[in-house]
Amino acid sequence: MKEQSLSDSVNIMLTPQFYTLKKEKLPIKYLYQAKKIAPSLFDGLLEDTQKYDYLVYKEEDEWMFIAYDLEAISDFLISKGIKPDQVAKIFFAQQASSSFTAPVLLEEKEALVSLDDTVVMVPQVALKEVYDTIPFDNSFTPKAGVTLQGIHASVLNKKQTVGLAAFFTLFAFMFFVEGWRYTHDSQATQEEMQMLLEDHPSLQSQYTRESIAAKYKTIDQNERKKREIVKTLAGMIFKGVKVGSFKLNEKAFKVEFTCSDPKVAKRLVQLAKKMKFKSVKIMTGNVVHIEEEL
Amino acid sequence: MNWKSYKNELIVAVSLLLMLSALLYKNNQISSRSQEMLSTKHSVREFRELIALQKTWANKNISKKVDKLEKIIPSSKVKWSKKGKKLTASYKNIDPKELNRLMTSILSMTVQIQELKINRNDSSYDVEFKCKW
Repeated sequence: MKEQSLSDSVNIMLTPQFYTLKKEKLPIKYLYQAKKIAPSLFDGLLEDTQKYDYLVYKEEDEWMFIAYDLEAISDFLISKGIKPDQVAKIFFAQQASSSFTAPVLLEEKEALVSLDDTVVMVPQVALKEVYDTIPFDNSFTPKAGVTLQGIHASVLNKKQTVGLAAFFTLFAFMFFVEGWRYTHDSQATQEEMQMLLEDHPSLQSQYTRESIAAKYKTIDQNERKKREIVKTLAGMIFKGVKVGSFKLNEKAFKVEFTCSDPKVAKRLVQLAKKMKFKSVKIMTGNVVHIEEEL
Repeated sequence: MNWKSYKNELIVAVSLLLMLSALLYKNNQISSRSQEMLSTKHSVREFRELIALQKTWANKNISKKVDKLEKIIPSSKVKWSKKGKKLTASYKNIDPKELNRLMTSILSMTVQIQELKINRNDSSYDVEFKCKW
């Protein structure tokens, strides 16, 4: 083969010296099963020093196994001036065996012929003197081929590509949704604020809002405190304890509990201290007195 | 250069670019909107709180509700004086059950308690109550 000078990428069909073929009738249904057993079929047939890949396909009832050394093929092509990135697909002559209805002449005194559905290379002199030949054209191109990218170009295989692309796309989708939610939330909050302002026109001024809020927050705080005190004191009434008097105003409260005996009074004092009342006193007549500011 | 040979890398690069663009979009949205949104959310929360406070402590129906305090105790024991938004009520000789009922009603009403006095006389109680709303 002469040295080539290419400007575009090309498909290449390899002659039988670049691959080893094995045809087997196997009780196998699926391609992945056939691919799994491919290396074992070539045990002892191939050189151990080389690294082989396998192309497997089914032809009628036979499985076709083609073992090839991508590195050796690539080295050969480079030696002929064809860079791996100029090779779109590589095919094997065996894949197009049905197209070899007549010999195909190669430039160097050799020809490719199909004998018993196996493509072989023979010297042109071995052919009959008068023979029909057919030209090699695109009709020989099989459906499936192999690429050289695994060896010299692409660092990612299909599985890695799908995995990485799916990972990045998933994150892209998540980031986009999150970004969109921020925009949407922001708009929704603004709309909510606008609606509140429209429903309460008297509260449109920030100053008015602040002064009203200050007024009602104070009322709310004080009134809650008063009610809390009354509830706490009511919770301190148990058997033997009665409210003698109670007084509550805006600033303070005063309460006197009348107890049935000193023991009850003492228990009530302990309870009051537990409730964090600081000014608890026992007066004469078993009266417990509490007076505190709110 | 045969781009078909780098198809896998191209696919990964495009998806990576897509992810980076989406990340950029998200960060941009966060930085531009978050401050504004936080401030608006804070305002909305304050506004709602203010409306709730106003509804509670400036309830227009409270005047009617306060009238219940006159009816839950027999009228013979009640001295009632309601002027505008102010109430002065005194209850004489009410029993503990009535006192409980009265206190529960007073505490559940959203009025501002100005004064609440309870004095025990043997087994009954006298109550004085002043409030406004």
